Amino acid sequence: MYKLLLSWRYLKTRFIALASIVSVTLGVATLIVVNSVMAGFVDQMQSRIHGILSDVEISAPLLSDIKQPTAFIEEVREVVGDDLKELTSVVRSNALISFNFNDRQWTQHVMLLGIDDETFGKVTDFEPYLTNDIKKEKFSFDLEETGYAMFDNAGWKYRREKFWHQQELEKLQREYRNLYDEEAKRVMLDQANSSGYTADGRLIQEDSPAPSIENPTKAKFAALPKTAPDIDKLYQTKTDRDKTNADRFAAVKNDGTVELAPFDPHVGRRKKLTTEEMFNPARDQYTGIILGLGISERKMREHDGTLTEIYMVNPGDDVQMTFLSGGNAKPVIENFTLVDFYSSNMHEYDSSFAFVPLSELQNLRGMVNPLTGEGAVSAIQIKLNEGSNLDEVRDRLLSRFPPDQFALNIRTWQDSQRPLLSAIQMELTILNILLFMIIAVAGFGILATFFMIVVEKTRDIGILKALGAPSRGVMSIFLGYGMSLGLVGTGVGVVIGLLFVAYINRIADFVGWLTGQEVFDPEFYYFDKIPTIVNPTMVVWVGLGAILIAVLASVLPALRAARLHPVEALRYE
Amino acid sequence: MNKLAEPTTATSLRPKTLNAHTPDSQIRNPKPVMTVSGLFKSYHKKNLEVPVLKGVDLTIPTGDFTTIVGTSGSGKSTLLHLMGTLDAPDSGQIYYNDRRIDNLPAREKERLRNREFGMIFQFYHLLPELTTLENVLVPKMVQDGFWTYLRNKKAYKKQATDLLEMVGLGHRMRHKPSELSGGEMQRTAIARSLISDPRVLLADEPTGNLDAENGREVLDCLAALRKNENLTVIMVTHDDSLAEKSDHTIRLDNGVVA
Repeated sequence: MYKLLLSWRYLKTRFIALASIVSVTLGVATLIVVNSVMAGFVDQMQSRIHGILSDVEISAPLLSDIKQPTAFIEEVREVVGDDLKELTSVVRSNALISFNFNDRQWTQHVMLLGIDDETFGKVTDFEPYLTNDIKKEKFSFDLEETGYAMFDNAGWKYRREKFWHQQELEKLQREYRNLYDEEAKRVMLDQANSSGYTADGRLIQEDSPAPSIENPTKAKFAALPKTAPDIDKLYQTKTDRDKTNADRFAAVKNDGTVELAPFDPHVGRRKKLTTEEMFNPARDQYTGIILGLGISERKMREHDGTLTEIYMVNPGDDVQMTFLSGGNAKPVIENFTLVDFYSSNMHEYDSSFAFVPLSELQNLRGMVNPLTGEGAVSAIQIKLNEGSNLDEVRDRLLSRFPPDQFALNIRTWQDSQRPLLSAIQMELTILNILLFMIIAVAGFGILATFFMIVVEKTRDIGILKALGAPSRGVMSIFLGYGMSLGLVGTGVGVVIGLLFVAYINRIADFVGWLTGQEVFDPEFYYFDKIPTIVNPTMVVWVGLGAILIAVLASVLPALRAARLHPVEALRYE
Repeated sequence: MNKLAEPTTATSLRPKTLNAHTPDSQIRNPKPVMTVSGLFKSYHKKNLEVPVLKGVDLTIPTGDFTTIVGTSGSGKSTLLHLMGTLDAPDSGQIYYNDRRIDNLPAREKERLRNREFGMIFQFYHLLPELTTLENVLVPKMVQDGFWTYLRNKKAYKKQATDLLEMVGLGHRMRHKPSELSGGEMQRTAIARSLISDPRVLLADEPTGNLDAENGREVLDCLAALRKNENLTVIMVTHDDSLAEKSDHTIRLDNGVVA
């Protein structure tokens, strides 16, 4: 009883000891925060990666493929058996994308994926990451009229406006060129008329001015509106396109000022096309392509510190893809119309993925067997039923398609991300060790403080011994004291840590507001909010560890107290 | 030098100095409560050996107020500590009720200190963090385990309150030692020493730090105890005048009984 009473009284009257455990508190709080944030980060990342990658993927090495996928898929279905939920075929190819932005050609590398629009979304989280609301519901590679809420310029309307604007510009340029040509012709004629030869046969060359004309189109260029006021009447909407060709063309011809420039990438290969068969950008699109948002998006910080996004290409723009054909690896250049963006918030994927229809890519890359009409694929992605053992299915597939006979990579999503995940794990381990060091340092603080308290309490120890208290009892006063300090320090640390985690985003905002520097800048991180997961087991272990350190630190002083000789302790001044 | 042979029988017991009145206790109970024989003790300071007790023999009659008088450095405090089992002698024996106690295991010594002996010190030695009442209760807390103490707490509190009232501190129970005067502190210490109904009270210069008035009060208190509580009181002091109130006086000089 006296042990508890004295521990408690010492705790109440010796605040210096409380100060010595502030570092325990801080260490515990930091450990909880760091672990929670890291756990949240890893969890978010994993769930996203898992969603983007399928459960199991069987892939051929780059530039080679699975030749007869139908039979192969049958085989895979048989091996996977009841665990199989869905599978989809994918063609994968490295490609270059190039597009026009600010009158400059931008080119960058992407991973081009040919996907089956029926099954791909069932195997991976694809549709939720699209930006168009209509496509989220029902996916297609068609450009939509509406649903691009994220963008100012997107969809068919934007495409028509852009086309009109370009047409107008070209007309003005033509006009200017004609004027210039005429002026140039006039100058040349004047020169010819006034020139002649002198008696000695020299050419008389008068200084004649270069053809200079007042450019009447300059003002017009400047005044050119971005869109025609009645643009919607000018071209038809997408739904109108389904009307008869006659109707469609009548509408185009309604306005005499517009002449559609017929353009067809395949002209020459085909027989002569009628105008209505020709490609008309205001009405037609190339094959749809979905780009990772990061390919188009550039983030820019304004002077006032706000972050704005710039989109170099918008849904409705055309982009050019260059990739190698299968087999003989010859470059293929093809236009696509951007129909939507893919935004998973995983920078690695958003900045590199481009999706096009599977059959189209198979055709373009020459992967279709002319005899059977069957297209080769690069990979088969498999979604398993809930609760299936991924590794077990992978091993089954590996034993059916052993790597020494089949040039195939069979991997679960975790296999693909192992380097990243294990790097994060190692980082977390090291951080934990370092932070526990901090608590250990705090332990030495407690040790020193306790020695002082034991010295200060020498006489009390003598009294207790004179009154018959055993050494063990005296020792447990100080151990109990250390433990209560550890408990208080840890308890406060846990509370602070948990509160910090609970309000971490508000704290980040506040610190950002205070310093003017965004703490968790979405420009550089995967997530716009700091994700956290509090693992109760982790909290308990951290707490126990800290208490243990506090107790261990009080063992030596407590031993010293227990060993004090009662007579000497009583005489101690 | 008055050396007693092995004092095993009551008849061989004859106090050196007798007071004016014959001690009732000696008639009532002639057996000595404590016997010390051939006690040697020296302290070591670095390599220097300082002998303090050089063969002390004495007996303490049961139920009497015995004073051990000696000058500073005569070893009287050391003797008291040895009798109270706070320290172990280099050689010699200490008997308590015919039982040798100087070589008991630590646990037995602790039990003796807790239940059989009460101790009072010159500097009171109260625990500064506890109130008067709690200080008095400490021996009981030491004696009992946590749950036993809680179960008996009421009785103990009553006992402690009675004791404090007896020493005239009924109104000071919730005060900390720092708020008490010297006399009050010493009386608290007396109350503490009595809480576990000891058979022997060992007082080490109980008045040494008090003024004459307070010293007399404390002394009266001790003298009264011997009668009321049927207690053997052993007091160590350097002041001859204090010995007057006691039944026997033993003089210690330079480590031996004079």
